Amino acid sequence: MEQRTSSPYPRVDRLVMAVVGVVLVIGTGLFMWSDRAHDWRYYQLEFRQMVAGKFGDDKAAVLPSGVQQIWAADLARADRCVTCHQATAYKGFETAEHPYRTHPIEPLQQHPVEDYGCTSCHGGQGWAIDTAAAHGEVAHWEEPLLSRSLGDTYTLAGNKNALMQMNCNTCHRYDRETPGAGAINLAKRLVNEKGCRACHVINGFGGTIGPDLTTVGEKAPEQYDLSRLSGQRTAFAWHVAHFKDPRALSEGTVMPNFNFSTEQAQALSMLMLSWRRADVPALYVSGAPRTDPRSPDELKAEAAMRTGPGGWFVQTGCFVCHSISALGVRSPAQIGPDLSNAVEDVQSRFGVTLDAFLANPTGTMSVVLSRQIILTPEQKQVAITKLREAFAEYQRQRATPAAPARNQ
Amino acid sequence: MRLPSLTRSKPEAPGVHAEPFWSLRPQSDREAGDAVVSNFMLHWFPAKISKASMAWNYSFWLGTISAALFFLTILSGLPLLFLYVPSVERAYQSVKDIEFVITFGSWIRSVHRISAHLMVIVVALHLMRVFLTGAYKNGVGRGQQREVNWVIGVVMFLTTLFLSFTGYLLPWDQLAFWAVTVGTNIAASIPAIGASVRELLIGGRNIEQATLIRFYVLHVVFLPGLLGVLFAYHMWRVRKDGGLARADAESVVESPRSTAPVPSKTYTLLGVARGTAPTVTAHTLDAPDATVNAVPDLVRRAAIATLGTIAVISIMSVFIASPLEEPANALVTPNPAKAPWYFLWLQEIVTDTTIRIGSFTLNGAFVGGVILPGLLVGLLTFWPWIDKSSHLAAGVWLPRDRRTQNLVFLLLILGVLALTFVGMVLRGPYWILYWPWEAWPEIPGRI
Repeated sequence: MEQRTSSPYPRVDRLVMAVVGVVLVIGTGLFMWSDRAHDWRYYQLEFRQMVAGKFGDDKAAVLPSGVQQIWAADLARADRCVTCHQATAYKGFETAEHPYRTHPIEPLQQHPVEDYGCTSCHGGQGWAIDTAAAHGEVAHWEEPLLSRSLGDTYTLAGNKNALMQMNCNTCHRYDRETPGAGAINLAKRLVNEKGCRACHVINGFGGTIGPDLTTVGEKAPEQYDLSRLSGQRTAFAWHVAHFKDPRALSEGTVMPNFNFSTEQAQALSMLMLSWRRADVPALYVSGAPRTDPRSPDELKAEAAMRTGPGGWFVQTGCFVCHSISALGVRSPAQIGPDLSNAVEDVQSRFGVTLDAFLANPTGTMSVVLSRQIILTPEQKQVAITKLREAFAEYQRQRATPAAPARNQ
Repeated sequence: MRLPSLTRSKPEAPGVHAEPFWSLRPQSDREAGDAVVSNFMLHWFPAKISKASMAWNYSFWLGTISAALFFLTILSGLPLLFLYVPSVERAYQSVKDIEFVITFGSWIRSVHRISAHLMVIVVALHLMRVFLTGAYKNGVGRGQQREVNWVIGVVMFLTTLFLSFTGYLLPWDQLAFWAVTVGTNIAASIPAIGASVRELLIGGRNIEQATLIRFYVLHVVFLPGLLGVLFAYHMWRVRKDGGLARADAESVVESPRSTAPVPSKTYTLLGVARGTAPTVTAHTLDAPDATVNAVPDLVRRAAIATLGTIAVISIMSVFIASPLEEPANALVTPNPAKAPWYFLWLQEIVTDTTIRIGSFTLNGAFVGGVILPGLLVGLLTFWPWIDKSSHLAAGVWLPRDRRTQNLVFLLLILGVLALTFVGMVLRGPYWILYWPWEAWPEIPGRI
């Protein structure tokens, strides 16, 4: 057999190849390790031990492990805070250190965590699962955790936790008073007292001497002129300094110096930064009307119905479907028949007396009276009495042709 | 013939390899040659290769490394395809999820990003190497068309740049948005048709959903497909042209008298190519001291280059995190707004050629962004036909014959590098020059 040409390469190349192989293995080990190395593993272990110590191993064994998140679909927020803050919904750790502390129950009753998530109130980066990134203390994240310690760095006058109220005002923007948001409430009072709208447009109306403040909170930090600002170089710090002495920050401004106290200036700055182009569903906006708007005439007519002889039917809710024209009650929908002549109408429609029908309704009314308007026997008796009165009135009006009754 | 194998059944015919996994130590040159033919992955290798072509310090294996990087971007891009959502509402969020909660997500994204950036660099270095060694020149083989392969190479380089540029937009953060804004505004400066070109590129007048889906489809379907096809043709041409130009140079050196080569050996690819296949002087390539068998010597070196690239990228990706800035915001321009780094020399020229005389402004974007790069790419493309040096200068580093053109080329490269450095490092807010030791004004925060 012919010989193979001898090659000078294998001696060195094999060695190089081996080194490359070792480096590949090391590289693989490194990235596997770096993917596992996260603080939350430690925090979950620690909390498991705390629960085991306090409530027993059985309770600890059923604690969720791995990355956890609250998905608030309406707000498109995936908040993974609960990966480390596992105790938020776990009663019994009210006085523990963070991240093992139970969340106070009161705010959550009005703001269910599954609807609001964590970051819509607290700020921070819900997507992240490492402490610094999650608390938003990293570059390129402009919504830091609005914590007590952040309040400390601004030497916030009064409540050190007040920065969080900026996020309250995302939804509570149109409230005059928001319970628990003292700083924002103070600022809103000042806006009215000092007459800010004389020069500034706020929520769509006001003067045009100063800039429109409706979405002033959207202004990017880069767009502030911080050249005259000393100390912290943030938009918030600029607003505080500007409220205390407008002319010192912005040369030639005509904005008067109102001699605000530190607390007032800080509260106003929070209000400014809270006025953002918030993309929240209408359901989340506090104070937004929940009913169709009604004209003054309609409101007056409804008030008259409530206080008139047929008021009982309005309060009970019968008038949603039924007019009782003899008693001056006019249903906005008029789905059901006029009840003015119910006494004889029931007899003709259902073949039973009014008393029997109400005691044992059939058809649509059986559904309505069992699910929506549930009457006690005493209330049913009131209904019968009132309907008899209505019928008497109906007959009286029929006898007098001047007032024709509406009948459907 | 006999293939030493671990299996019981021995292949009867040459060219048919019975083993699912390839493990071979050929005992003869014949076996080594058969091994190339019988393996799908190796069919594009020659049976034998000159030692000179194998040398680390001739080609620096930049082409192989480019291919390895291309392979890595595709491999790391596949999982990203399953995770990334090309919509302006969700793109940024999906990248955040890749970064934070997808298993190995941030590493995969780093592999993809670092490979892509390095690919731009290595492809550019490969192109420089080919120029400086005159490797686009035909040597002594018959029917060589290396200049065609050079043109293909230039197109591949531009495709690489465009691939990287289209990928830049996808995270939909400020970096992406404004880099693409700067890039597409340069295209808009072409007289008469500029606005239409920009509109075609971004699918409208603003960088929006239409732009994102356009760049996305280009990035994941068309450009990789194009590059893959060009890559296959590029490799095929290398074989058709008789390997690296260095092999020609070597045979010339070994036998200076062979001006008329002896047509004694023809390399064909499975009999597909006929007639124009180059014929290389047999006596040098068959000389035992000038050549080695592709199996296993070339295979091993190719593996070292490829796996070495993968190993380096893998480790780099653990330590170098991929940036993700604030979500894209058309209302807030970051200061300074910079194009991707490989276009920064153009942005720098654009700035430097913008001339203001009173209220009259001569827009430099046309000169710096269109004319100059157009001229350079044109020159680069047609250089093989402009270069009239001897065929003896093919495959030789910095030959005397091509001294002037190499010098001009190197000076141009140096200029591009200098401008890139200025744009990358020295340009601060408002495009003002800052020395590296001078601090930029502090970027303020919100709260």
